[in-house]
Amino acid sequence: MAKPMPQEALTPSVRRGLNAPSAGESGKSVAFDPFRERLQQILPPLAVFVLFVGGWELLVQLLRIPPYLVPKPSDIVKAASDNASNLLTSVSTTVMEAVVGFLASVVIGTLMAILLALSKTIEKSVYPYAIILQTIPIVAVAPIIVIWFGAGLNAIVIISFIISFFPILSNTLIGLHSTDRNMTNLFDLYNATKLQTMWRLRIPAALPYIVAGLKISCSMSVIGAIVGEYIAGIGGGKGGLGYAITVATNKLHTPYLFACGLSASLVGICFFLLINRLSRWLLSSWHESEMRH
Amino acid sequence: MSLRSLDENAAAAARSAVPGSGRQLVELNNVDKIYPNGTIAVRQVDLAVSEGEFISFVGPSGCGKSTIFNMIAGLTDHTRGRLSVLGTTPRDARTHNEIAFVFQEHTLLPWTNLLENVTLPLKLRGVPRKAREEEGRRALELVGLGDSVKSLPRQLSGGMKMRVSIARALVSRPKLLLMDEPFGALDEITRQTLQDELLNIWQNDKRMTVLFITHNVFEAVFLSTRVAVMTPRPGKITEIVDIPQPFPREETFRSDPQFGEYVRAVSDAMKFKPAAAGERE
Ligand SMILES: Nc1ncnc2c1ncn2[C@@H]1O[C@H](COP(=O)(O)OP(=O)(O)O)[C@@H](O)[C@H]1O
Ligand SMILES: [Mg+2]
Repeated sequence: MAKPMPQEALTPSVRRGLNAPSAGESGKSVAFDPFRERLQQILPPLAVFVLFVGGWELLVQLLRIPPYLVPKPSDIVKAASDNASNLLTSVSTTVMEAVVGFLASVVIGTLMAILLALSKTIEKSVYPYAIILQTIPIVAVAPIIVIWFGAGLNAIVIISFIISFFPILSNTLIGLHSTDRNMTNLFDLYNATKLQTMWRLRIPAALPYIVAGLKISCSMSVIGAIVGEYIAGIGGGKGGLGYAITVATNKLHTPYLFACGLSASLVGICFFLLINRLSRWLLSSWHESEMRH
Repeated sequence: MSLRSLDENAAAAARSAVPGSGRQLVELNNVDKIYPNGTIAVRQVDLAVSEGEFISFVGPSGCGKSTIFNMIAGLTDHTRGRLSVLGTTPRDARTHNEIAFVFQEHTLLPWTNLLENVTLPLKLRGVPRKAREEEGRRALELVGLGDSVKSLPRQLSGGMKMRVSIARALVSRPKLLLMDEPFGALDEITRQTLQDELLNIWQNDKRMTVLFITHNVFEAVFLSTRVAVMTPRPGKITEIVDIPQPFPREETFRSDPQFGEYVRAVSDAMKFKPAAAGERE
């Protein structure tokens, strides 16, 4: 039908989904939901947001706390707009690094999971090490990466990749192993080759798991990029958010520090929403988790 | 009983006068199946199925009905004895696409439409798209779903999903159709409609043999040329009851006194073994 073949949709569509202009897509989804329902969903968290920001502003003003300790929301906005071009450069640098790290982890993570799922022997011999590697804290690994690959883009992307890789690997692997027994029997009965069963049954059936992995990983990739920049930060005006944070800390420029932190979380949220949309697009026609009622 | 004096192929012959029907299709001699965990699923099973028969298997759950089917389909190996399907090993018969299987669960792929689902066996075999879709439409037509080829499985009722499942089995024009409790999850009316349709399909295809698992004695008697009665611990075929009622079988057969006789014969055979008594569902 109109829905894409899941196997084609696996990796290329992830790329497509991330590069897609988000404005055009969100316009489409509003049309699906009745406006009122949407409003009722948005209103309560919005009210909390306004109360919180207003209270914060008022409290800091009343208590006369200096901005380098706790900046008011207005200080943060001002710091952001005063340094708008710097902030934008930092954000776009971080986004670029995170996207590359994330895409690498999607491609390598799913391919590796497929490889492991195809052969029990490979899985048994390799997967334990993947788990062990995963338990080493990224802040311990990052300096080594910097030593090996030099302080710069390469190291940052690799760190982002490492931290977002495992959720995709493990989720995909679980998904590939959770195919219904009757279904695999059916494919055996019709003499499907291992690859056919993988392509036409196991991968599409694992899509809900894969997408769940993507949702975790996309936020991780942003964190990874910032940690990478923090440790391997590039000098000069082209540094990402992690670098901007270190600089702002050293200067005790707290309002800008807050602005950087908020921007980072905004980037993470945008990533997550994009993946969410992708998930709905992939699964809405057939999987309970994404069905519209 | 006069019924018993009939040749075991008589019922099949009654429905089709095709010469050569009566060729041995499936043969089990002294077959045992012990699962790796030590469960003795079936023991000393003997069975000879001729071409064109419709044999039902009844018995309490756990008596090894599915195990026998899985062995015949080559999905699991037998432990001892001789087992031949279409004159060769089950796996060999399977690779020649002569066997089709319908499971109790509809096992449809939820992400593709009915036509894609039904033509899956052909796709896996590399049949070109055009031929594939032609066969798929034919098979969907057979089960009365010719005009919903583009629907997704989740848009269908349980009965319709089962129809699609049957269409998928028929698409490869199998010589041997194995059905493991296909109608078990359906309501009575849907079940009876599907029984009629299945019999029609089987009668029109003169060379297809059907093996059919059910818990329902009425269903077994209505559909079959013979009913194999099984008992558990260890699983065994204890009796094979002939149902020499000619085909086509009309609805009226269900209320025929003769029908009651057959049902009684099968039920008696099931009760015979004391071991089975506690296991009845
Ligand atoms: N894969 C398996 N491994 C171990 N034991 C099994 C397996 N499949 C079935 N059995 C056992 O074999 C016996 C027969 O099972 P089955 O053929 O499914 O019976 P039925 O279909 O008549 O309900 C049961 O005791 C069941 O627990
Ligand atoms: Mg069973």
